[in-house]
Amino acid sequence: MSVFEVPVGPQHPALKEPIHFLFEVEGECVVGVRPRLGYNHRGIEKLAESKTYIQNALLTARICGICTYAHTTCYTTTAEELMGVEAPPRAQYIRVALAELERIHSHLLWLGVMMHEIGFDTLFMYCWRDREKVLDIFELTTGNRVQHAVNTVGGVRRDLTPSMVEAMKKAVSYVGERVKRYRDIILKEKTVRVRTEGVGPLKPRDAVALCAVGPTARASAVKRDVRVDDPYVAYEEVPVHMVVDDGCDVLSRILVRCDEMLESVNVILHALERLPDGPVRVKAPTRAGPGEVVGRVEAPRGELLYYIRGDGTNKPSRMKVRTPTLANIPALCKMLEGCYIADIPAIIACIDPCIACMDRVTFIRDGESWSWSGEKLRRYGMRWYGIR
Amino acid sequence: MELERGEAQEVWNEMVWNSLTWLVQVVVFPGFLTLIALALFYEWVDRKFVAKLQNRYGPLHVGPHGLLQPIADLIKLLSKEDITPLAADRVIFAASPLILLASPLTALLFIPMSGVYSTVGFEGDLLLVLFLFMLPMIAIFLGSWASANRFTAVGAVRATLQLLAYEVPMGMAAIGTAIAARSLSISRIVAWQAGSGVWLAVIQPLGFIVFTMCVVAELRRVPFDAPTAETEIVAGWETEFSGRKLAVIRLGEDLSTLLLAGLAVSLYLGGPAGPAPIPPIVYFLAKVTAYVLLISLIRAAFARFRIDQTLRNFWGYLLPLSIVQVLVVQLLAGGVLAWLW
Repeated sequence: MSVFEVPVGPQHPALKEPIHFLFEVEGECVVGVRPRLGYNHRGIEKLAESKTYIQNALLTARICGICTYAHTTCYTTTAEELMGVEAPPRAQYIRVALAELERIHSHLLWLGVMMHEIGFDTLFMYCWRDREKVLDIFELTTGNRVQHAVNTVGGVRRDLTPSMVEAMKKAVSYVGERVKRYRDIILKEKTVRVRTEGVGPLKPRDAVALCAVGPTARASAVKRDVRVDDPYVAYEEVPVHMVVDDGCDVLSRILVRCDEMLESVNVILHALERLPDGPVRVKAPTRAGPGEVVGRVEAPRGELLYYIRGDGTNKPSRMKVRTPTLANIPALCKMLEGCYIADIPAIIACIDPCIACMDRVTFIRDGESWSWSGEKLRRYGMRWYGIR
Repeated sequence: MELERGEAQEVWNEMVWNSLTWLVQVVVFPGFLTLIALALFYEWVDRKFVAKLQNRYGPLHVGPHGLLQPIADLIKLLSKEDITPLAADRVIFAASPLILLASPLTALLFIPMSGVYSTVGFEGDLLLVLFLFMLPMIAIFLGSWASANRFTAVGAVRATLQLLAYEVPMGMAAIGTAIAARSLSISRIVAWQAGSGVWLAVIQPLGFIVFTMCVVAELRRVPFDAPTAETEIVAGWETEFSGRKLAVIRLGEDLSTLLLAGLAVSLYLGGPAGPAPIPPIVYFLAKVTAYVLLISLIRAAFARFRIDQTLRNFWGYLLPLSIVQVLVVQLLAGGVLAWLW
């Protein structure tokens, strides 16, 4: 049978974000896949260079609407290291609790989307309904359902009151019960299993070789979790049990995320139980550097990496963000090889892609790729629109 | 002379009266208008019930409890822009929605609703109705092929594969009821059930299950909605249809739901027959409602099968089951019982 090419994206009604895949298809079977990134330019890294360290805490929250808190945690801990300050212990514990709360909300959202991709809309509705409980807690504790601007350099901006702690404990226990039930349904429901079992295989060796991160790697039996390997904030004192599954398929990625939600519930309860007293914020210097720091956290999707270079002023001279989705793209291409066309959406969804957080603009022409500086881009824009 | 004129007048009156009755039967009750109203009502039943199962509200604002929402949707679609792709084959593209509407509407006249006998009917109308099920699938294939889009092409292939999967088991199951009633007329099958006082679903449970699964596949609902799988191929075969054509397709789908539920009720659940004081139409509507709720429950409870898995399930399980059912019926009807006696 002859091989023909099926392009998907960057404008495709089934893809919510701009990314392009060129599938080489033989009958119903995918034999090769070539991704192309770089359609989306948001200019956040460049913008960060013109804002102060305090302002950047709010800017980095805007990188991703779902893992806002992971981004701000990574930014603030990295900036704190550059400045040589440390947030007080209570702030560190609050950061752990909120980060795990965000993991639950992100995974529940993902679980719903995943079920929608394989046509199980009832579970999709149930997951998103229970996610509202988590968002309510975010609203109660930080003031916002999403984009909670609570992290800042030197600590957190709002303290947890005892009533908030009680509400949080109650909500996560409830959500934990629901997650157990959904995990049960997924394991028992035949139609879910035939669509996910053995689909999108990623061997442990490939996961290591292709630098997969987060739940994608852990579902291929690779023990890789920044919270355990390189503890940040208060993870040294709050024990995290690393969830690993050796199924290497879509089903095990679902199960890993379900178990991680249950583990997050334990971590939150543990952290709230041992919440230390004291201030939640120290005064941070406005200037930092000269020097450069790399910081990483375990975002819901995997390892998130920030690089900040300071030159002694109140603004960073360079900030670089590497999101987990980018790290998982090579692994994704490996999973897609040999799958059926009908399984493509489920496999793409199973790395929990966040394309708009990942993308930096790149030019590709005749096999060469390059990027432009901000000044060049500005000149190009002026020429394009015919203004001076 | 006087008498003759009176007789002629009487004959004439009778003719006019008969034609009028027939016209009213076809157009108003239980004809097109009632059928369309019923179809839209059952769309509301399905949406509301699935919404309840999924912990949502469902239609809420148009009419009491959102009862008029399907009509509002239909009117909205009718007023939308109707786009025909440049590359499309205009004639086939325009014709296929009409076939999709016309064939269930025609077939519905053969379903007995307000009495044991249907509006139109003849010995062998079961075969005609089964043929009228297949017609929309051919229209779907032609229409989606004519719209020259890669999603519709994939959707068309999947729809056709699905047709291959459910057509044979569905026919086998239906024939099982015909053998039991010794008639290929839907009305006679209903009359046989009314006469013997037992539903065929009780005598032929296997056939009923196979038929219900085929109904779900025919309606392209979850778990057999691969031809229109939203997340994989946008809207499948109906991707390029918009405006009036999409409205007609949607109405046709609602009518198909009513038709298939009506046929299942006629063949397996005794049709409109029931104890006397309550009019038969009430029994019919109650049974159809129950059947629509059953299909909605299936829709809410499963994930989507891949098209190859659908084919494997139908050819691997449902077809043998339907053959077993026919064999059992044939042996029972063909004198094994008599011989045993």
